Amino acid sequence: MNSELKAFTFGVVGVTLVLSAILVTVYGAETGRVVQALAVRTPLLLSGSPDFSRFEGGFAANIIISLWAMLIAGITGVALGIGLIAQSAAVRTPSVLVMNILRNSPWLVVLYAMLYLLPFEVDLFGTTFFLSPLVKSVIGLALPVTANIAEVFRGGVEAIPSGQWESARSLGYRRLQILRHVVVPQAIPFMTPNLMTTYAMLFIGTSLVVVTGAADVLSVARTVIASDGAHYATAIYLYVLFLFFIFCFPIAILTRWLERRVRVRQ
Amino acid sequence: MTPDQQVRPLIELQGVHKSFGSFPVLKGVSLSVQDGGVVCIIGPSGSGKSTILRCINGLTPIDRGTIRVGSFAVETLKSDKDLVPLRHQVAMVFQQYNLFPHRTVLQNLTMAPIQVLGEDPTQVRERALSLLAKVRLTGKEAAYPGELSGGQQQRVAIARALAMQPRVILFDEVTAALDPEMVSEVLSVIRDLAREGMTCVLVTHEMRFAEEVADEVFFTDRGVIVEHGPPSTIFKAPGDERLKSFLEKVL
Repeated sequence: MNSELKAFTFGVVGVTLVLSAILVTVYGAETGRVVQALAVRTPLLLSGSPDFSRFEGGFAANIIISLWAMLIAGITGVALGIGLIAQSAAVRTPSVLVMNILRNSPWLVVLYAMLYLLPFEVDLFGTTFFLSPLVKSVIGLALPVTANIAEVFRGGVEAIPSGQWESARSLGYRRLQILRHVVVPQAIPFMTPNLMTTYAMLFIGTSLVVVTGAADVLSVARTVIASDGAHYATAIYLYVLFLFFIFCFPIAILTRWLERRVRVRQ
Repeated sequence: MTPDQQVRPLIELQGVHKSFGSFPVLKGVSLSVQDGGVVCIIGPSGSGKSTILRCINGLTPIDRGTIRVGSFAVETLKSDKDLVPLRHQVAMVFQQYNLFPHRTVLQNLTMAPIQVLGEDPTQVRERALSLLAKVRLTGKEAAYPGELSGGQQQRVAIARALAMQPRVILFDEVTAALDPEMVSEVLSVIRDLAREGMTCVLVTHEMRFAEEVADEVFFTDRGVIVEHGPPSTIFKAPGDERLKSFLEKVL
């Protein structure tokens, strides 16, 4: 992991220095006071609560939303991916259509659509479920990511030589059995780096959920700016930028490392 | 063996036609294989030899004609689900081995009987171990295919085919991808099987081997069977001009 470790150290130190330099340039002699103010607001920005008592808002909400959206998109994406490689055109054509619609929808537009398409609450089996902004955000982000994951799945499956399908078929395996027992286990190393890139993209995309009214880090940041004064806006947005970077950058590094390992093993 | 079985071959192809796009690969192929018989198909590249094998186990659907294997009318079986019982009886070994690289040698042998045929894992394991002994690979159970030589991998592939307890094994140029020194170890395994009475259909370029093991040899050229007969006739007294010139080139 040597070259990746170097890239990681270089990236973290470099980006931290650059962001600090911008901070100093903007605030000059005031920088110390601004940093102190950021430190005071850190629990709120990270957890949505002033004392880390709960983790329901702020950056924690971004993480929670991204994990749920990834989980849901993982399931629906694999299902759609199986549809994309189906033999029967009756399954494949609608799958390709759905995939293209989802993949080419701007995420922000999907999120806005969720606000108005999804009801405020739903009755299921006699129980009323309240569709919170958080739930709407998760669904809104899971939709376009479904298309990405379906494509990653299709690409991974197609990377496996056709001889594997032939020999499995001649042993009596059926299509879904071949995917499950023969092809997908071999394709996972190819899919993993792409899935991680998708996740990093999704995580950056969680910054858009502010439009649904979810209490994510951006919406907390806006509240903080409103109460502490617009003077702090630059510092706070730089700080949020830093949070996203410090979360996504290791994923990118790990992805690169995995990619290299897959290449070496071939 | 009852007279009826003697009369009725295990495998029977009649007037099989197959085109890939507008290119006709098989133009009316008819052949039959007796139960326990060893049949070799020889011929120049692109003459449709491998396609014949793929049609027999339903990997390649045919355009016209009939294929019967035991009690199965292969051309009527459309879905992979319908083809499962046929594939239980007809196993296939490929030129490129096509072992499952993510599974150990032993798992390569046991997975299909357990996952497809639903057999008891303990029994399958015992059978797999004795099959590995038969192909002289005892001790390699836990190895992965990538750790074996080509000849060893191909013997695992043969053992994997046998683990399905088939009535027929189709061999598709199984020595063509091997280094010369590994060819004989694979051929000797096939020779043992043929002597034990396993029905074998081989597509091969190993003419000496075909001459030695085959009960009947079929010569294909441009999608038709030009000549067939016992190896003594085909190799020693060929009638057709195309067969003569083919043999001159390869022998």
